Amino acid sequence: MPEPLLKAEGIVKVYPDGTVALRGVDFDIRPGEIQGLLGENGAGKTTLTKIISGLLPPTLGRILLGGEPVRLRSPKEALARGIGMVHQHFALVDDFTVLENIALGTGRPADRALRASVAELMERTGLRVPLDAPVENLAVGERQRVEILKVLSRAVRILILDEPTSVLTPVETDELFGFLRRLKGEGVGIVFITHKLREVLEITDRVTVLRRGEVVGEVLTRETSAEELARMMVGAELRPRGRRPVELLTDIPRERREAVRTGVEPVLVVEDLRVPAEGGGEAVKGISFELYPGEILGIAGVEGNGQTELVEAICGLRGGRGSARLRGREILGLPPLELYRLGLAHIPEDRWKYGLILSFTVAENSILGRQRSPRFLGPLTVLRWGEVFAHARELIARFSIQAPGLEAPAKSLSGGNQQKLIVGRELSKEPDVVIAAQPTRGLDIGAAEYIRDLLLGLRDEGKAILLVSADLDEVLELSDRVAFMYEGTFTAVTTPAELDRERAGLYMGGMRG
Amino acid sequence: MTLGYFWSILFLSLHAMVPITLTAAGEVVGERAGLFNIGLEGILLLSAFTGALGAEAGGWPLGLLVGIGTGAVVGLFFGLVNAYWKGNQLITGVGINLFALGFVAFGLQALGTPGFHDVPRDVRLPAIQTPVGGLSPIVLLALVVPFAIHWFLNRTRAGLWVRAVGENPEAADVAGVPVELVRLLATTFGAALAGLAGAYMAISWMGSVTKEMAAGRGFIALATVVFSGLRPILTLAGGFIFGFFDSLATWIANIPGVKEAVPWQFVSTIPYIATLLVVTGVIGRVRFPKALGVPYRRE
Repeated sequence: MPEPLLKAEGIVKVYPDGTVALRGVDFDIRPGEIQGLLGENGAGKTTLTKIISGLLPPTLGRILLGGEPVRLRSPKEALARGIGMVHQHFALVDDFTVLENIALGTGRPADRALRASVAELMERTGLRVPLDAPVENLAVGERQRVEILKVLSRAVRILILDEPTSVLTPVETDELFGFLRRLKGEGVGIVFITHKLREVLEITDRVTVLRRGEVVGEVLTRETSAEELARMMVGAELRPRGRRPVELLTDIPRERREAVRTGVEPVLVVEDLRVPAEGGGEAVKGISFELYPGEILGIAGVEGNGQTELVEAICGLRGGRGSARLRGREILGLPPLELYRLGLAHIPEDRWKYGLILSFTVAENSILGRQRSPRFLGPLTVLRWGEVFAHARELIARFSIQAPGLEAPAKSLSGGNQQKLIVGRELSKEPDVVIAAQPTRGLDIGAAEYIRDLLLGLRDEGKAILLVSADLDEVLELSDRVAFMYEGTFTAVTTPAELDRERAGLYMGGMRG
Repeated sequence: MTLGYFWSILFLSLHAMVPITLTAAGEVVGERAGLFNIGLEGILLLSAFTGALGAEAGGWPLGLLVGIGTGAVVGLFFGLVNAYWKGNQLITGVGINLFALGFVAFGLQALGTPGFHDVPRDVRLPAIQTPVGGLSPIVLLALVVPFAIHWFLNRTRAGLWVRAVGENPEAADVAGVPVELVRLLATTFGAALAGLAGAYMAISWMGSVTKEMAAGRGFIALATVVFSGLRPILTLAGGFIFGFFDSLATWIANIPGVKEAVPWQFVSTIPYIATLLVVTGVIGRVRFPKALGVPYRRE
């Protein structure tokens, strides 16, 4: 076995607020190996990789690079020693062009020489992006490519990828994997953080599983199975798959639901909806669909094909032309508050931007958008805090939100619990239509399953759900009907039963059904 | 109005433009790096005073240097407090303004010339003689500086760093850019330019120091930064608009007949009102750096 490129020994990390993120972790990275780092949100994966990449100092423990103890005081030092990391939340300057971002990352001027070498790198890796476009105009998947290019344009020997596939389509993921295998062949040590077991089994050579800041298992990929990994990752707390939250459980068989639907009016009718794109042109080019009570309409597709704009136009966050009628009433251009009164709930794609005010408390966030409801607003616009707290407690109990307290800031919650808080709040509005955009992105398996079960439960209660997700498996698993979105239009609207992965991939790639 | 008046107002406008443009162009650099210095007004006043003292001690070259140095020291202080110690930028800036007011009033008193201090003609910056009148060399400098800053921000690596730490300090940090240091240097540079502007007012343009001589120019410069959308070349336009109305007001206030009928204090509000109207009226969608005013802390 080759010498490890990097060894981390006894790493302990205690954050200033007293949170213990890592409790003595041993970890090594070997050349020419892809190592999976698996664990739920809050398990310490990101903290560990931030320490290795110089962004955070460890509280205790040491890091050996090529056998020598080193102190990595900054990402710059780590990069200089050949350790590069692609973060889950991209470290890109939105205002800069792709080339300027790469220049920033490499410490080189954004000149012709850099342009040539990046072009060569894009050629070699197959990761293509327009070099002169400002990053803010790029889709999420493209931004990730910029991140990877940025790191690769340094001569890295260790490449850490924090959930790189969460924003990619199957085709893009395959491309990335092909590229990672080539990179592995060049002797680079790769750390691959993910929640997706299938990907771990497909791409990694070795898997390290973290739980609550400790390594709970280290196995060779060829000697393990998805079941074993899932067990290690979530421990004994894993809910049996398919069990739904009791209060939402209404087990109406699918046939009966479909019988009910015949003769039922659609609750949301969208006709020839057009939404302008930010850089000119149209992001949504005339989309029409109907959404019925008691169904989940899934919208699948490569990110950046207009899904975000479609959702934001329907939810009153963006202007659009055409028509969207909620129970017969035109809603295009109505403000979000009015939409909520009409029975539309929105689980936003960007939960930090539209979903929560991170520095507000759990209780305050639990009534965002409902602050004017008579239940919470007393005379002289004084909030009834007793009611607010009671409401927050109800949400916490009903949606099993793990929160340090009602007055803890929302940012102290893990991603999964933040999402549960948003979903809980939106559902407490008792909507008829739920627009769920990327509802499980970045969540650990337990939380993602919980949200999925919740959506199924809502459907069974007769709500109409529009589900937009980049996770094809998720869309196929949950939806009654699936639409594929490509460059602002639907290439196909069908049912999951009539689909196989290959056909789905074709629709996502722009072939019409 | 004869053509002669027109030329002389234009000429005076150029001189009145200088403090606004230099200060605003410097502040563009600071704000691009993410620091918002509301203490520019105080820096103008302080460096006018110290610049005058410097000139009297060692001639105009020393005066200019002391003015620049005063601005740099205040900028260094502002940068240390805010880039390194994560202070409150608004409060630090207000503090600088209040300190300057008190210090200069006290200093003028200590010199035995409370309220007004004349800078002797022989230590003032010599003007370039032209047919219309004496032209300060600093005017020429002020015409060049915004272009140099534009080039610096957009064409050099250091400029890229400045923009990066203001737009996304996390990304810059990950890329190995010393965020605090870049911010400190950017704001120090900006304050040094304000210092030059202050010294210019005392030892070139006005030839005197009064405790109200900054007269809101620091704030007009801040408005100009907004108007320019943080594009340095446009600070020339903002500065010139103010300078033009400033000169126009002086001219109007001295028209026989008007002089007697309208108090000059009233007329001298013209440049402020006109500048704010133009500056706010023209503003379209200004895109500020995302991290402007936000201290950077590593998680």
